[in-house]
This record gives sequence, C-alpha cells and structure tokens, in this order.
Amino acid sequence: MLRNLITEYLVSNASVDPALFDQPDLMISDLALDSLTLVEMLFEVEDRFGFQVSDPMQFRTMSFNDMVAAIEQEVRAHHNGEMPDLVLNQAALEGK
Amino acid sequence: MNKVVVTGLGMISPLGADLASSFEAALAAKSAVRQAPADLCAGLPHVLYAPVTVDPAALLGRAHAGLDRAAQLALLAAQEAMHEAQIDEAQPPEDAGRFGVYAGIGFGGAHTVDALYARYFQALHAAEGSGKHATVMHPLSVPRMMANAAAAAISMRYGLRGASNTYSVACASSAVAAGEAFRAIQHGYLDAAIVVGTEAMLTPGSIVAWNALRVMARPDAADPSASCKPFSLNRNGFVLGEGAAAILLESEARAARRGRKPVAELAGYGCSSDAHHLTAPSVEGQVAAMQQALSGAGLRPDQIQYLNAHGTATDAGDVVEAQSIEAVFGAATSRLAVSSTKAVHGHLIGAGGTAELALSIMAMQRGAIPPTAHLTQADPRCALDFVPLQARHGCDIRAVMSNSFAFGGTNACLIARRTDQ
Repeated sequence: MLRNLITEYLVSNASVDPALFDQPDLMISDLALDSLTLVEMLFEVEDRFGFQVSDPMQFRTMSFNDMVAAIEQEVRAHHNGEMPDLVLNQAALEGK
Repeated sequence: MNKVVVTGLGMISPLGADLASSFEAALAAKSAVRQAPADLCAGLPHVLYAPVTVDPAALLGRAHAGLDRAAQLALLAAQEAMHEAQIDEAQPPEDAGRFGVYAGIGFGGAHTVDALYARYFQALHAAEGSGKHATVMHPLSVPRMMANAAAAAISMRYGLRGASNTYSVACASSAVAAGEAFRAIQHGYLDAAIVVGTEAMLTPGSIVAWNALRVMARPDAADPSASCKPFSLNRNGFVLGEGAAAILLESEARAARRGRKPVAELAGYGCSSDAHHLTAPSVEGQVAAMQQALSGAGLRPDQIQYLNAHGTATDAGDVVEAQSIEAVFGAATSRLAVSSTKAVHGHLIGAGGTAELALSIMAMQRGAIPPTAHLTQADPRCALDFVPLQARHGCDIRAVMSNSFAFGGTNACLIARRTDQ
C-alpha cells in the first residue's frame, strides 16, 4: 500500500528512524528531509503510478498522514477513482 | 614558482580494479578488449569494448548509489589516490580552502542520459492504454548527468573547498585537468589538488554514435582481444573503454610539511590547439604541445626515456603522432621508448590522460616499460621504438612524457620526472 511504499523508502534511503512513523501526529518537517530528498521520495510514487505529483512543496507543512491521503487522492484522480494494485504494478515493472 | 609533486595515484580500469593490477596487466600486455554483449550493440554486429573489471556501485556505499557510473568510477580512483597520500575522508584537510578538485570527462553522465531517453521513448510508445505518462523521470536526472558531477562528489566526500573545475576536452580532458591543476599549484592559487579523469559511456546510444564515425576497430578473426593494434601495419581503429584514474598533486612544500615522500614530480605541461580540423590531427599542434611541456620542465628531448603515446590505432592518428615525435625529439628519437597502452585498456576518452600519465609514472618508478601490444609488423610510416609485444625491464627512467590529443584539435602533453635527481 501507498503508506508502506513511502515509509519503506524513507527508512532505507533517507535514514529516517522507523519509530517516528508510530506517531499519529508526525509532521513532514519532523523528518528533516531536504527538498531534493522529498522529490526523490515522490518519485517512488510517480514511478509506480505513472504521473507526476502536482506540487511537492505543499507537503512540507503537512502532517505525514495528510500527505499520504493527499497523494492517494492524486493517484485516484489519475486512475478513475481507483487505487491500482501496487503488487501487480511491481510485477509489471519487474517484467520489463 | 612552486614545485609540484605527485603524492598519490589511483585507477580503476579495464585492466584492473586498482593501479597496481592495471599496471601489471599493461606490462604483461594482457588485453581487456572483448566482444560486447548483444544488449549493448543495438543490433550492430562485431562491437568490441573494454569494460572495467568490477561493478563500481557495488564497491561504494549506498550513499553513492544514485550517482552516474562515471562519477562512481571517479570516486573509486580518487579514493585510492587519497588513501595512498593518507588523506582521510572523515577528516577534511586543515587547508581545505587551498585544496582543489580538477576533473576531466568527455561526456557527462552518458549512462544517465542514455537511460533517460530509453525510458522516455519506451514509455511514450507504451503510453497508450497504460495511463502512464512518459514524462515521469527521476528527479536526480540532471545532477547525475551534469559534467561536473564527479568533481562535486569528490569535493563533498573529502570536504575540499578550493576550486572545483571540470574540463571537457574530449580525449584530452583529464590531461588538461592535470595540467591546469599543476599550473594552479605552481602559481600559488592552490597548495593541493586531486585530479581525476573519468569516462563511462559503454551504452547502446554512444556505441551506435561511435560506430557511425567509422573509427572503431573490427574484431581480429583469430583473437578478438588483439583487435586494437596501435602503430601496426594492419591496425583498423580503436576500442572504446571506460574507467577512471586519479593523481594527487601537492606543492613540494606541502608534501614536505606532511612528511609525505613524493611518487614523482609533475614537471611540465603543454597545451595547444590545431585550429585546423574537427577530428583530423596536425603535426604542428602536437609539436607545439610537446615543446611547451619540455620547455616548462627545463628538459631537453634526450632527457625523456619513455613516452606513452596517444596511439589510438587509427591511420591518421598514429602516422601524424609518429611524425610529431620525430620532429620534437630529432636525433634523440632513436633512444626514446614509445608505447601505446590503448592496445590493452582501450580508449578511455576523458580518463585517458590521467590513466596514461599514471601508468607512465609507474613505469618510471619500476624501471619497466609497458609494451605496445599486438604489434608484430609496424607501419613503415611509423618508424619509432614502439617496445613491441614484450615489456622492457631494468630501465633507468628519469623522466616520462604522456600525450593526449583530442577531437576538436586540442593537444595536451605532460612530463613527470623522478624526485631523486
């Protein structure tokens, strides 16, 4: 799912402490990401779902949960309201 | 003017993962040239290449996984040179503001550019029905492909705050980088500089481009590894390689303060332009570069014992270089050993200048001259002592010259000499 995709990326590539994601009110600013790392994180989503997220900088002042919800909304908007199956998508990518 | 010394060398090449193994393979005339795999050849038959022996990404930590292959190779070569000079990445030098990075690269980020276009056009053709936009690209595409990515990575890793310059002068890129760093230290703008030459463009896109230029060697029917034959009567072109080499330069005074024994002195640099033809070489321009280097070093031609030639194994290149060497060395030509190591490591383009200077310095240290491999019958128009087939050992080498001549008409020449004289 989308949330796991993002947290896994941040933990393994941006050295974010996984325990942080247990906080329900976690803010993006608490993750101490620079703007380049933020857009690299979004690329994980963009690469899977095939579109460019509209405004990366809006997330800098959001909570983590709100960011995930906002990204999900964009993904659905690009897929007729559906959430594409990530596992299938991954298989399709690897099959190339 | 400050005397400039070499205190560290590094290399990752088709011949080996470090300088010592690369030099041994060059001495043994052990060629790294081979048939390229089908996925690189873009449908072309008979493509040869000379890839590095190890995967640079696997040797570097995760922090460098996002860099283009050329920058990764550069980091590894710099790491070996810095390690030899006992400069630790965890502790930036106290005079970091007087310590520069000088890089040479022919094509910036070829792997990144090739992959970007491949991804774009594949996605464009597949876009119909998939709902995916072809325009989604990795956000680091630009900082990966920029020509100065290697210099930036080295500056950041070692905390070097002096000038960080990148020279893109085709096949002379890193020879020019070394020469300009030499001058910066000589004239007191810097006290130290890590010079690195790097190139990684063994990609389908660049291979079809090089193929179109009609300068690539055709495979030797009996032994594909012997396909690149500089100065040979039956030569027919060069083989594209990849790799990186690094040379740490310091003022003699700085090296002495640190108690470092120099490997050699970088003594002379010459640089000229042909103003003549986009790809064809010229005797006049090459002679000018060699004479400048000799004059800067304060050496007569008969004081150079070994010359690592540009020697690409193209007809025009080899004949013109042989004429230029004779014009510069005159009566001393017969006592000069000349070889082209491109026969075994391929043409390293932007990395060629530093790689071949590093091999020349090794030759001087060891008193052993790497041969011109695969040279059974020399072209009569190239009548020099090319050290054919077999290395020459037990030589008293006091000074070496390395030539790099580029498309675009740039000629660069470097001279190194022993410090114990």
